[in-house]
Amino acid sequence: MTHRIGQILIRAIVTLLMVAILNFILFRIVPGDPARLLLAGARTAVTAKQIEAQRQRWGLDRPLIPDQVVDYLSATLHGDLGFSFKFRGRYVADLILERLPATIVLVGLAQFIAILCGVVLGLYAGWRRGGAIDQIATGASLALYSTPSFWVGMLLVVVFSTALGWLPGYGVYSPGATIGFFDGLLDHLRHLALPVAAVALGLIGQYVVVARAAMSDVVTEDYMVTARAKGLTNGQMLVRHAFRNAMLPVVTLVTLNLGYVVAGAITVEAVFAWPGIGGLTVEALNARDYPVLQGIFLLLGASIVIANLMADLAYGLLDPRVRK
Amino acid sequence: MSESTVQSLSRGRTRALKNFLRQFLGHGGAQLGLLCLVLFLVMAAVPNILVGPLQTAINATGDFLASPSSQHLLGTDEVGRDVLNLVVHGARISLTIALLATVISLIVGTTVGMTAGYFGRWVDDWLMRLTDFFFVMPSFVLALVITPVVLEVMGRGGEILGFRPSLFVIIVVIGMTSWAFVARIVRSQTLSLRERTFIDRARVAGSSNLSIMVRHILPNLVPQIAANGALVVAGAIYVETSLSFLGLGDPLQPSWGTLLSLAQSAGAASAGAWWYLGAPGLCVLTVSLSFVLIGNALDDTFNPRRRVIP
Amino acid sequence: MTGSLQDKASLLEVDGLSVEYRLNGLSLRAIDDVSFALRAGEAIGLVGESGSGKTTTAMAIAGLLSPNARVSSGEVRYRGERLPIDDDAAMRPHRWSETSVVFQGAMNALNPVHRIIKQIAEPCRLKLGMSRGGATARARELLELVGIPADRGFAYPHELSGGMRQRVMIAMALACRPSIVIGDEPTTALDVIIQAQILKLLGELRSQLNLAVILITHDLSVVAEACDRVMIMYAGRIVEDGTVAEIFAQPKHPYTKLLIDSIPNPANGKKMIRPIPGDPPNLVNRPSGCAFHPRCPSAIGICATEFPSLDEFGQGRVACHLHRSSQEDKVAAHA
Repeated sequence: MTHRIGQILIRAIVTLLMVAILNFILFRIVPGDPARLLLAGARTAVTAKQIEAQRQRWGLDRPLIPDQVVDYLSATLHGDLGFSFKFRGRYVADLILERLPATIVLVGLAQFIAILCGVVLGLYAGWRRGGAIDQIATGASLALYSTPSFWVGMLLVVVFSTALGWLPGYGVYSPGATIGFFDGLLDHLRHLALPVAAVALGLIGQYVVVARAAMSDVVTEDYMVTARAKGLTNGQMLVRHAFRNAMLPVVTLVTLNLGYVVAGAITVEAVFAWPGIGGLTVEALNARDYPVLQGIFLLLGASIVIANLMADLAYGLLDPRVRK
Repeated sequence: MSESTVQSLSRGRTRALKNFLRQFLGHGGAQLGLLCLVLFLVMAAVPNILVGPLQTAINATGDFLASPSSQHLLGTDEVGRDVLNLVVHGARISLTIALLATVISLIVGTTVGMTAGYFGRWVDDWLMRLTDFFFVMPSFVLALVITPVVLEVMGRGGEILGFRPSLFVIIVVIGMTSWAFVARIVRSQTLSLRERTFIDRARVAGSSNLSIMVRHILPNLVPQIAANGALVVAGAIYVETSLSFLGLGDPLQPSWGTLLSLAQSAGAASAGAWWYLGAPGLCVLTVSLSFVLIGNALDDTFNPRRRVIP
Repeated sequence: MTGSLQDKASLLEVDGLSVEYRLNGLSLRAIDDVSFALRAGEAIGLVGESGSGKTTTAMAIAGLLSPNARVSSGEVRYRGERLPIDDDAAMRPHRWSETSVVFQGAMNALNPVHRIIKQIAEPCRLKLGMSRGGATARARELLELVGIPADRGFAYPHELSGGMRQRVMIAMALACRPSIVIGDEPTTALDVIIQAQILKLLGELRSQLNLAVILITHDLSVVAEACDRVMIMYAGRIVEDGTVAEIFAQPKHPYTKLLIDSIPNPANGKKMIRPIPGDPPNLVNRPSGCAFHPRCPSAIGICATEFPSLDEFGQGRVACHLHRSSQEDKVAAHA
């Protein structure tokens, strides 16, 4: 068990290291003096002396390998991601932390709803394979699975915001109004509805497909025949024997998916002008704000690695065969 | 090998191919997928014949954001271009990007997977560590940070192999970041093939490693590569559309993703211009679903028990 | 014909049972007019190649036919009462408490995520309505009965050897005190020594608990070791039925002879399994007449056209024109 966890941890660290190194390489191939790029975000006019100071701080006068790499990595490790170009003089880390909560709310809610609906529907479809619900759910899921979530978001805006006028199509709060706590919360939830639905619908498609496949594999397993021979009812077979085995791959995939969910949310945020990481990404892309982009890359990398860690550990808890 | 055995071998192969085609084409999903795909391939092949040359803001003929009419079947965009014209031309850009990126991805994935599986030991260890990284990191996330930097280095002007640099970069970046999944499958397949007797026979007969890999292992990998290749295309379309939507595409050679990006910045959704954002999105959905269905049917045919997507 | 088999001592009677599978619009007859009786405490071996219908027969008896199976004729009676074998829900109360099954390859037959003691106790709790504690105590008893220390019950299936898992399957099969246990290739995946141990255990439990056993196998040597009677099946029909002693000493059906010849026997110099020439019959294109005639070394003209009925012959039954004609000859000679 400890050996397994050790291996998992090493893999996670290696992946993060590779993310950081890729960042380093990209930073060095952007045209222009790295020091000038680093100072591009500074508030005041840049003097030769400052450039020299930056060169020394980042060790640009020293050899690329290993000195500069090591310096870069240690700065990254300390949360020093440099300055933003666009938001002059602001630290990248601060910008990201500022935007993170909005994304966490969006992604968290969508993930929660998608797990609830998608996994339940998928397990049921796999259990009653070939039934009416299975055929409808599978067809719809394949379509959702093949659709970019941001496009689903755009359609939702057209229908529910523009045509019907039920829900707001962009932003986090209604501007201007000063309202009480509950009204404010309600207003916020109304703004959340469409972006959350857009992210969740795409995820539901994936989770139905995954859960259905897992369940229909389990249904054909020998131990299900044993359970039937023991005289268990269908409900008992489902709850006691099928459910937990079907959940093994589902839990892994859903957890692993966390990184992809954040990535997918980027485009949805762009549709709804949601002020989260996705919104920041679009702004950074438009302004070619490389330090911010790389900070976001690091964040996504870290969240994917953490999701992987969690998936591995969860699998160990659920499946006695990998516990050693 | 005598002539008759060669003949019977080729006859066996023809029969196997016929069998395969019958099974594959008997699959409802495959029929639907192929039908849609042929339709879009025709669009991509001869857009000028179907809808005339690509319209620009200068030669646009319609009103701004006009809804569908007999003149403009799919309405117009915010500068008066015909959406049908844009979407048909977009088919060429989107499909070319997706298919070329897939070719790169399959070449890299097969090479890495086969090398790792065939040589084993430290070669396998290191290649798989590299593969793990690309397996864990979504192609979209990698492309998001690599594409703008590479574009900056290369500059956006001119053309490379007939593509605008930004499209060229997107093709290469998607291809180079989405091969890990193929590499894993090819590796495990190679591992089992390596132990078969016909490989030993070839080795004893003095074939070089390269010739064993190309002449004996590769042909046996084709089914897996084909089935997964279809899924790689679907993935590539998704990544390309997302990247273009975020503004990394090229407005002079607009793909469906670029059109969606233009629709978004023109405020098509809040203006209720459903045709403008609906048409390219529906194209993405149809093509990507077609590839998923085809991949699924291929996998079903080659490997009846296990399916990629049931 | 079945009159003598239907005596009151029979625990289980299978009477003219035919089962078909629907597959892509086709209807495949897996077993055809199968009749036999099983007495309490008796052990019958059901032998045949894959596709011979031996597993379908056993699953029909246990009420475990798959949803695409249909009982087209015949019935199964337990203690004289007809079993609703084609009704999944109605069959449920009969399962495990009357007939239980020891499945092959116990690795997958046991649920990988539950401790084995829980899996053994499960039918006690659900079918016998025992308390959690009572069911666990019963499971411990059962484990000891099959020669596993009760504390090993907290292991997961993957932590046990193949032989141990097969013992667990046996313990589980005994949980509701059934009077019939069906062994579905219970020793196939095991090495020879473990196989002998499991067969010995089954034999001991059989006499200790007065269990009737139906052993499904393709391996006649297993039957020789563990059964009283053996029924040979081919293409969905019983082709020969008799006591083990009789069949091994004097096999009548040519297929039985070939099966016995194919047993590797180091004592008389046969070290290799000698396969029977020809392909096993295909259920879609069943040969006309006797299904075995294309592979039969002693086939005669009538075999290709006319179906031989399963007639009583000495102590047992056999379905073969060679034997019927000799019998008729005898009858003719007497007359």
